[in-house]
Amino acid sequence: MKFESEAQRALDTAVSHGADYADVRFGLVRDEHLEIRNGVVNGLSDAESAGFSVRAFYAGAWGFASSAVISDAEVDRIAALAVDIAKASARVKGNQRITLLPAGKQVGAYRTQFEIDPATVSLSDRVKYLMDVEAEARAAKGVTVGRAWLDVWRTFKSFASTEGSLIDQELLQCGSAVHALAVGDGDAQDRIFPGTCGLYQTGGYEIINAADLLANARRVGEEAVALLTAPQSPSGTMDVVLSGDQVSLQIHESIGHALELDRVLGWEANFSGTSFATLDKCGSFSYGSDIVTVVCDMTCPKALATHGYDDEGTPARSVDLIRNGTLVGYMAGRDTASVVNVPVSGCVRSEYWGRLPMIRIGNVNLLPGAAPEAALFDGIKNGLYMESNRSWSIDDKRLNFQFGCQIGYEIKDGKKGRLVKNPTYAGMTPKFWNSCDAIGDERSWVAWGTPNCGKGEPLQTARSCQGASPARFRNVEVGVGYVG
Amino acid sequence: MLGEITSDRGELEAILERVFARSQADQTEALLYVSDSALTRFTHNSIHENVSELNRNLSVRAVFGKRVGVASTDKLDADSIAAVVERATEIAKLSPEDKDFPGLPSPAAAGIPHDPPHPYDEVTARLSADARASAVAEIARVMNRHELDAAGFVSSRSDALALGNSLGIRRYFKSTDAALNIKAIGETSSGYGEGFARSFADLPFAELAERAAKKAVDSANPQVLAPGKYTVILEPPAFHEFVGYLSWIGFGAQPFEEGSSFMAGRLSEKIVGDNVTIRDDYAHPKGDGMPFDFEGVARQPVTLIERGIAKDVVYDSYYAAKLRHANTGHALPAPNSEGPLPLNIVIEPGSKSIEQLIAETKNGVLVTRSWYIRLVDQKKTLITGMTRDGLFSIKDGKVGPGLKNMRFNESIVGALGRCELAKELARSDSYVLPAVKIEGFHFTSGTEF
Repeated sequence: MKFESEAQRALDTAVSHGADYADVRFGLVRDEHLEIRNGVVNGLSDAESAGFSVRAFYAGAWGFASSAVISDAEVDRIAALAVDIAKASARVKGNQRITLLPAGKQVGAYRTQFEIDPATVSLSDRVKYLMDVEAEARAAKGVTVGRAWLDVWRTFKSFASTEGSLIDQELLQCGSAVHALAVGDGDAQDRIFPGTCGLYQTGGYEIINAADLLANARRVGEEAVALLTAPQSPSGTMDVVLSGDQVSLQIHESIGHALELDRVLGWEANFSGTSFATLDKCGSFSYGSDIVTVVCDMTCPKALATHGYDDEGTPARSVDLIRNGTLVGYMAGRDTASVVNVPVSGCVRSEYWGRLPMIRIGNVNLLPGAAPEAALFDGIKNGLYMESNRSWSIDDKRLNFQFGCQIGYEIKDGKKGRLVKNPTYAGMTPKFWNSCDAIGDERSWVAWGTPNCGKGEPLQTARSCQGASPARFRNVEVGVGYVG
Repeated sequence: MLGEITSDRGELEAILERVFARSQADQTEALLYVSDSALTRFTHNSIHENVSELNRNLSVRAVFGKRVGVASTDKLDADSIAAVVERATEIAKLSPEDKDFPGLPSPAAAGIPHDPPHPYDEVTARLSADARASAVAEIARVMNRHELDAAGFVSSRSDALALGNSLGIRRYFKSTDAALNIKAIGETSSGYGEGFARSFADLPFAELAERAAKKAVDSANPQVLAPGKYTVILEPPAFHEFVGYLSWIGFGAQPFEEGSSFMAGRLSEKIVGDNVTIRDDYAHPKGDGMPFDFEGVARQPVTLIERGIAKDVVYDSYYAAKLRHANTGHALPAPNSEGPLPLNIVIEPGSKSIEQLIAETKNGVLVTRSWYIRLVDQKKTLITGMTRDGLFSIKDGKVGPGLKNMRFNESIVGALGRCELAKELARSDSYVLPAVKIEGFHFTSGTEF
C-alpha cells in the first residue's frame, strides 16, 4: 500500500494516545477543468492536492483531523489531535453513545476501468473540440451565451485502520456538457445537454466522447431560442412524463437524501434536515407504486459513485432501498448502522482527503421498467412532458417538493405536442412516487451522474449517481411557480 | 505556525517570490492561502462530529500576451512550485487568445486596500476542541432545561491570504471567524438561532440557545395555514436566504453584460421600493469582508440599489476593461466562470424595530428561517423555497401559535417593492441585513410538519 509506513505511524500514534479505533486516509487529487464561453477559454485549470486525515474513536465519540502536509511530525501531530478532539467530544455525549460496527480486515486495491486514458488526449485537442461545440451552440441565431465544458477527475487514496485494513484505490471520473442561454424581452432561457448538468460517469475519455456534444449543440441552441417565444407551460393537474435525467434528480432529492440513515437519525437536523422516512416505516411503508424498485449499488458499471471500498473500509455492494414500492432499507455507515441494526451500504465518502467521511448518496438507481420509451405517452389525453432540471427545492424532511425543467412539450392524445416554456411540477414525495405507472425499459436507462451534491458541515460536495429511465406519473400538479 | 504550515506574512510572500522567480511568463499572478478551521457538530444534545482541518493552496496564473493558464497545488517545496508554474505555463501557451483580456492589474491601478475593523482575534485562531465542547455543553444545558433536543454547530477558523503579481502587487490579509448554529427540537416543532463574529468570545451561546428554545416551545403543535398571499416578516436568517440569489444572478458585471441580470438595461430606473438601499461593503463593522479582491485590487464600497433605484453592479479587471467601467475590486479567484461578484452585501436598515413591525401587523406570518431556495426564473428573480424551524402566525400585532411549514413562490425584486425594513442589523453568514416585512407574500402549499 502506498503511504503504508506513514499510515501505520498515524494509527500507532492514535492508539498510543488512547483511541479505541482509528483509521487514516491519504489522498492525491488532480482535477482538470476546461470551459469555453462565447468563443473564449473562460476556465482552464489543473488543480492538485495531497494530504491525509485521521479519524479517531474514543469512549463512544468521534474526533477527526486533517492536514495538507505529509511528514512524520505532522502525522504525529494530526493523529494526536484527532484523539484529543474525540476526547473533547466524549465530554458532551448527552444520551447518545455511538458504537461502531467492525468492517473487518480489508486488504485490497481497486482501479476504475476505462477505455481511453484522458492523458492521451492533448489539451489542444480538448480545447479545439470544445471550441467547436460551443461555436455550434452559438451558431443558432439568437443565442446570447454559449458554453461548453469538460472535467477529468483523478483520485488516488489509501486507507488503513486499526482493524488491519490496507486499501489502495485509483478512481477516474469524467464529464462534459454544452449550454446555451438565450435572452429576450424580459426573459432568459437555458438549455443544457446532456441532462441537467452534463454526462458525468466513472471511466475515461470515452465518457466525454459518448456525450456527443457536437452533434447536439446546434439543437440545444435552437431550443433555448425557441423557448423565448414559446407559450407558458400550463397550470393545473395532469399526467406527466419526465425525461430520464429529470427522474434522476427526482430520485436524488426525494429518495436518495430521504434514505440517508444519518438524516433519519437526526445527525443532519440543523442543516440538510431529517427525513419523513422514519425507522418505523421500514418494511411496510408504501413509498411508491409496485413498479418502483430502487437500490444503492456501489458496484454499478460507469455510475459516478462506483468504487471498490468506501472511505471507512466497507467493500462496495448493492443494498435494496425500495422493493416493489415498499421501503426496505437505508444507506448506512458503520456508526449509524449499529444504532438500528441495518446493513452498511458502502457509501460513506468524503469530498477529499481533508474532510470527514459521511453517508453520501451513492448510485441510487431506479431499476428499469417494462415500457418502451415511445409508449410512455400512451393513454395521456392532455399531459405534459418535461426534460432537464432547471430548479429544485424540497422541504427539510423531503416531502414537499417543487421542480422546474428547462423545456416542456404538451402531450395531446398520446402524442408530443407544442413546445412550452417554464414547466414546473410539485407534489408530496410518497403520493408522487405512488402515481408512477410506467417506467422506461433498459434501453432508455442511463447512469446519470450528479457532480455537485452538497451536505454536511463544513459543507462537502459529493458525486452521486441516480440511474433512471423516463417515467410517467398520473395527476400531478403543474405550473405552480407561475400562478400569480 | 500551524503545525508545519506557516501563516506568517514574510514566509508566505517568500513563496510568492519563488513563483515569480521561476516563471517565464509575460505576467504571473500567485495566490496562496492557508486556513486552519475547526467545527464541532452536535445532535440530540451530544457531539457527534468534531473536525479540524489544516489546508493550503497555491494557485498560479501565467499570462502570455492574451493567453492565460491557471494551475494550483497544495505542495510548497521547490519542485512542486516549479511544477505548478510549469503546468500554468503549458496551459497558457495552449490556450487560445482572449482578445478582451486586459492583463493583470498594476499596483497603480489596484489602489491601496484598507483593512476592515478588527479582522483577527488570536484567541479564536487558537481555539481548542475543549473550548468548543464547553460551548456545546452550555447549549445542551439550556436545551435540557426546556426538555428539548438541539442540533447545530460551533466553529472557528483562521485564514491567511498572500497574493501578488509580477507587476509588483503584494497583498496579505489575516482574519478569523466564528459561528454558532442552533436548532432546538421539540416533539412537534423546532426553533432556530445563529451567530457570526470575528471573535469566538462575541458569540452569545446561552442567549441564542434560549432564543432557539423559545421558538421551539412557542411553535409546538403547529396549525395548518391555507395557501395564499400573506403579510410576512422575515427575520434576518430567512431574509438572507431570500435575497441571496441577487448577488449571483444580478449584481455582477457578467450577467449584466449578457442581459440575464434583472439590472441589465435598467440602471437609473426605480426597480424596488424607495426604502430599499443595497450596498456591497467589505468594511462594515458587522461583516467578514477582506480589503482586496483575488487580483489584489482594493475593494470599493459599491451602492447597487439606492432608495429603490438601480445604481451599479460590481466589476473585476476583465469586465472593467471590457465595459469601460472603473474596477470595483470584486474579482474571484482565477479561473472564474461566474465573473465578479459582491460578497459582502449590506441592506440598509429602516426606522422601526422588528417589534414595531410585528405590532403593526393585523394578520400575518413570522418566518424564522427559510430553506432550499432555488431560482425558478432568473430574469424575473422568481424563486421558490420552504420555511423551517419556527413559523408563527401574527394576529392583531402579536405573535401567535406556530404554523406548519409552507412553500413560497415569490419574485425577490417584486417583494422588495412591497417591503418595510427593520432598524436592527444582524449578520447572517456574509450578509448584514435587518428583518423585513413584505406584503402579499405568496405561500403556494404546505407540508406535514
